[in-house]
Amino acid sequence: MSGKRIRLLIWKEFTQLRRDPLLIRLLLVMPVAQLILFGYVVAVDIRNLATAVVDLDRTVTSRKLEAAFSGSGYFTITQTPRTEDDLRPLLDRGTVKVALVIPEGTQDRLTRGETAPIGIIVDGSDSQISAVGSGYASQIVAQFNADRREASGVAIEAPGIDARVRVMFNPTLDPVNTMIPGLIAAIMMISLMVIMSQAVVKERESGTLEQMFVTPIKATEYLIGKLTPYAALATAQMLLVAAGGLFWFRVPFNGSVWVVLVGLTLFMFTCIGLGLLVSLVSRTRHQAQQAVMFIMIPTMVLSGFIFPIQSMPAIIQPLTNLIPLTFALQVLRGAFVKGSDFAALAVPMLALVGFGVVIFGASIVATRRRIAE
Amino acid sequence: MPALPTTPAPPPGADAIRARGLRRTFGDTVAVDGLDLDVPTGAVFGLLGPDGAGKSTLIRMLATVLAPTAGEATVFGHSVVTERDAVTPRIGYMSQRFSMYPDLSVAENMEFFATIRGVGRADRRTRARQLLEGMGLDEFTTRQAQFLSGGMKQKLMLATTLMHRPDLLLLDEPTTGVDPVSRREFWRILAGLHADGRTVLVATPYMDEAERCTHIAFLDGGRIRQHGTPDEIKAKVPGRLLEVTAADPRAAMAVVDGVAGVTSAHLLGDVVRVLWDGAGDPAPTLASALAAAGVRDVGVRPVAPDMETVFAYLADPSTRAADAEPEVAAS
Amino acid sequence: MSGALVRMGAIVRKEFRHLGRDPRMLLAVVITPVIQLLLFAYAISFDVENVPTIVIDLDRTPTSRSYLEKYEASPFFEVVEHGSTLADVDDAFDHNTARVAVVISAGFARTLDGGGQAQVAVLVDGSEPTAAKVAQTYSVALNQLYTQQLTRAWADAQGLDLSSLGMLEPRVRTWYNPERRSSDFLIPGLMVVIIAIVTVQQTAVTLVRERDLGTQEQLEVSPMRRIELMVGKLLPWTLIAFLDVVMITLLGRALFGIPLRGQPVALALGAALFVFASLGMGLLISAIAPSMDTANIIALLIAFLPSFLLSGFAFDLAQVPIVLQWLAYAFPAQYMVTISRAVFLKGAGVADLWPEFAALAAYAAVMLGISSLLYGRRSSR
Repeated sequence: MSGKRIRLLIWKEFTQLRRDPLLIRLLLVMPVAQLILFGYVVAVDIRNLATAVVDLDRTVTSRKLEAAFSGSGYFTITQTPRTEDDLRPLLDRGTVKVALVIPEGTQDRLTRGETAPIGIIVDGSDSQISAVGSGYASQIVAQFNADRREASGVAIEAPGIDARVRVMFNPTLDPVNTMIPGLIAAIMMISLMVIMSQAVVKERESGTLEQMFVTPIKATEYLIGKLTPYAALATAQMLLVAAGGLFWFRVPFNGSVWVVLVGLTLFMFTCIGLGLLVSLVSRTRHQAQQAVMFIMIPTMVLSGFIFPIQSMPAIIQPLTNLIPLTFALQVLRGAFVKGSDFAALAVPMLALVGFGVVIFGASIVATRRRIAE
Repeated sequence: MPALPTTPAPPPGADAIRARGLRRTFGDTVAVDGLDLDVPTGAVFGLLGPDGAGKSTLIRMLATVLAPTAGEATVFGHSVVTERDAVTPRIGYMSQRFSMYPDLSVAENMEFFATIRGVGRADRRTRARQLLEGMGLDEFTTRQAQFLSGGMKQKLMLATTLMHRPDLLLLDEPTTGVDPVSRREFWRILAGLHADGRTVLVATPYMDEAERCTHIAFLDGGRIRQHGTPDEIKAKVPGRLLEVTAADPRAAMAVVDGVAGVTSAHLLGDVVRVLWDGAGDPAPTLASALAAAGVRDVGVRPVAPDMETVFAYLADPSTRAADAEPEVAAS
Repeated sequence: MSGALVRMGAIVRKEFRHLGRDPRMLLAVVITPVIQLLLFAYAISFDVENVPTIVIDLDRTPTSRSYLEKYEASPFFEVVEHGSTLADVDDAFDHNTARVAVVISAGFARTLDGGGQAQVAVLVDGSEPTAAKVAQTYSVALNQLYTQQLTRAWADAQGLDLSSLGMLEPRVRTWYNPERRSSDFLIPGLMVVIIAIVTVQQTAVTLVRERDLGTQEQLEVSPMRRIELMVGKLLPWTLIAFLDVVMITLLGRALFGIPLRGQPVALALGAALFVFASLGMGLLISAIAPSMDTANIIALLIAFLPSFLLSGFAFDLAQVPIVLQWLAYAFPAQYMVTISRAVFLKGAGVADLWPEFAALAAYAAVMLGISSLLYGRRSSR
């Protein structure tokens, strides 16, 4: 191993990078674009759902209920059709996503001490909205009942439950707080896998890889020389995302920097290994790109980066353990949001070690064999 | 979409190509610099010149794939800028790079390009068979183009270019990177086309190929420096050509270069080619000068000028300066 | 004109030959969509249910157990662990084995019997906000309901006036997708994303490739018109995109029972317009990109990210900042997602969706027009 040769290779890689202005711009634009898209589109709190209210009761109670809905911030009453039949076209066109139907005689029933049904219609063609919307609606109605009860004298003497629901770690429940730590891991994977595999395949395409191996450069030296610049670039991108998250989205950081660093370092080996494996199976850059897509799509879907693992069907959930990003996310989110320490994150850390050893090891062995051929 | 105009046959002897003040710039670089060119119908016109002389740019403008920055050019009397539709059916253009689909077979490539050129189905078959046989490619019709050797690739391109029987062939360095046997064969095919009465404009960096042309032009710095028949060009080299052999050719060249009357001296292999424009008999003068300088084993003999030397002379900036009047109009 | 048809036919045949020679291409246009379909339809769900819950019952009475049964019975909570001390909560949260903890303090039953307010602490792990929000919502609702029942039973026993205890009962109806299967929600939108990726990605390189191979110049010296080349290039991809539409529709019906309530004609018309719009976008990239690499990257940025994130396919556009909503209008995917979802699930027809159809048609016309223009300008420089 010669430090001089490695330095030479690193210099060459950086020189080539500098000559590719598009790539440089892309490397800068990509984290920013992802920060914006994931921060504002994916990690969005569902609020202000367009809501129609059909008030057939027209009483103080019905108006109070309406006020409870619009005051919650989750629903914005945009339409007040006269009959239930008028709801159909509104939901068909997507003008409203939720409808509240207060039947005639609701107030009368309540004062008789009966249970009065009210209709809540959610647009099931949007699963996310229907799930969240019906949850909010149930909560508002429960609160409405509780307020009514408390306003009466009965509640004072009656037994009850004083439930204190407290959200730990992320009290605002802002999804950005978990999205940004996840994005840091995701961007490392994308950068290392996409850009590095492209660089290696490009070298093979232009035939300089062959040239490289008739020189005294050793396979290990070549790998280190090739990897170092991209690891540095990925680090710069991660810092950009982290800075954007901490200062723009004001994501709190509760944990230890060491946990984050160790977790990312472990994950980096997996990412590098995947990038090398992609470049080994691809003859052209176009193929490499498609191979990357082939890995990235299941990774994005199954890692819990965008869609919570919690919501996946029970048969699918074990599959998420096959995705390295799953564990990187656990480490980063644990450190950022929960302030977890090494002991608490032992399982995902060990999993990352396992993935690193297997994937990185396999890629090194395969690359060396390929080179030796 | 206008209908394809029918082109009247060119009057015999008229120019196939006529360019006036043709200029093309790429940013600040001037590739073709106000060039005039006349190529008579039926000629095999060789376009010679070093890399970067502007050969490809000129050919691409004549092939209508590149618009001139200034000036005009006509092919069979039709402007390459405003009458593309009249020009393209009459020309065949072969670019310097291999430009066929690598994943399509020889037959598929030929069929595709012939179809879009409007060659009828029956005609396509017979013509493809003839051309492939004529070029010795008939064994490879089902092979994908990417798996052909360099020479075969060039022959495939030429065969494809010939499918629609163009009257004018524009060939951009068709033999670059091709082995000598294939090159000879390629020129045999061009000779056949010439015999058929077709006009060929061929760019080449090989000086020996220039001898096979009926007309040649020497292009440098985007201008035509010399043009004429090969004999006319050779006659442009003033004085006589001599070959000097010596034990140390480099030393010999250095000595010879300083002798009065010598216009240029070039090393070619291990002989020195000397151009003599002075008075008197050069051989003894040179021999005595070399002997005086202590160069051993000296031999001096006059030789007939060949293209290689002619262009070495013409391309030499020191000699060119005296000779480089931009010439207008060809023979 | 017949000459034009022959030439276009030649291009179409050639494009299919390219496809046939590259088995990976087949993978990209047939296999990958199926894998994506299965992945998204099986794995993604927005309904939060069975949130793992740890309960710590420090009271250990029949009353506390009956209270906890409410959690066990709720579809939203799944009691996975019975802890004995508060340290167990920390442990469970640290190791992600539970996301909700319910802690009943000692004296729970005694307080209730005495008519008091018994304290219960519900701790929710906020590190997965979606699940946390739902857990928070439903635990509040669950406790309110339980209190209501207690009050009612107590008032009944005391023979008091029940008028203040009338309750509103929400009856949630989910239209269009009563079982709230997220596959019903995702597949119509996913179809749009897949078409966008296949078409833009592949056509983005198609013209650049001709330029890279040098065959561009050969096409230029032929009598072929720009429009003929464009049509010849688009036709195979139109067919492949339709193959993907049909494949996804059939798989969606067979495997996931997706209803197709509207007119198939409306879907086909929408798909056709969308395919043209996407292909136009791909051609535009191809016409302006200086190299294959650049074309690839632009296609990825333009086809993948916006159609995935700004189409409303999985993420509601009404919720994003207004600037991003404007940005979303600049891409055709969101119109098609609306059409696809409305036709599949709502049984809508062309008449209901004419603004979206008009937008797609305009988009396709503009894209094809511009790319045809730009391509021409570039080729003759």
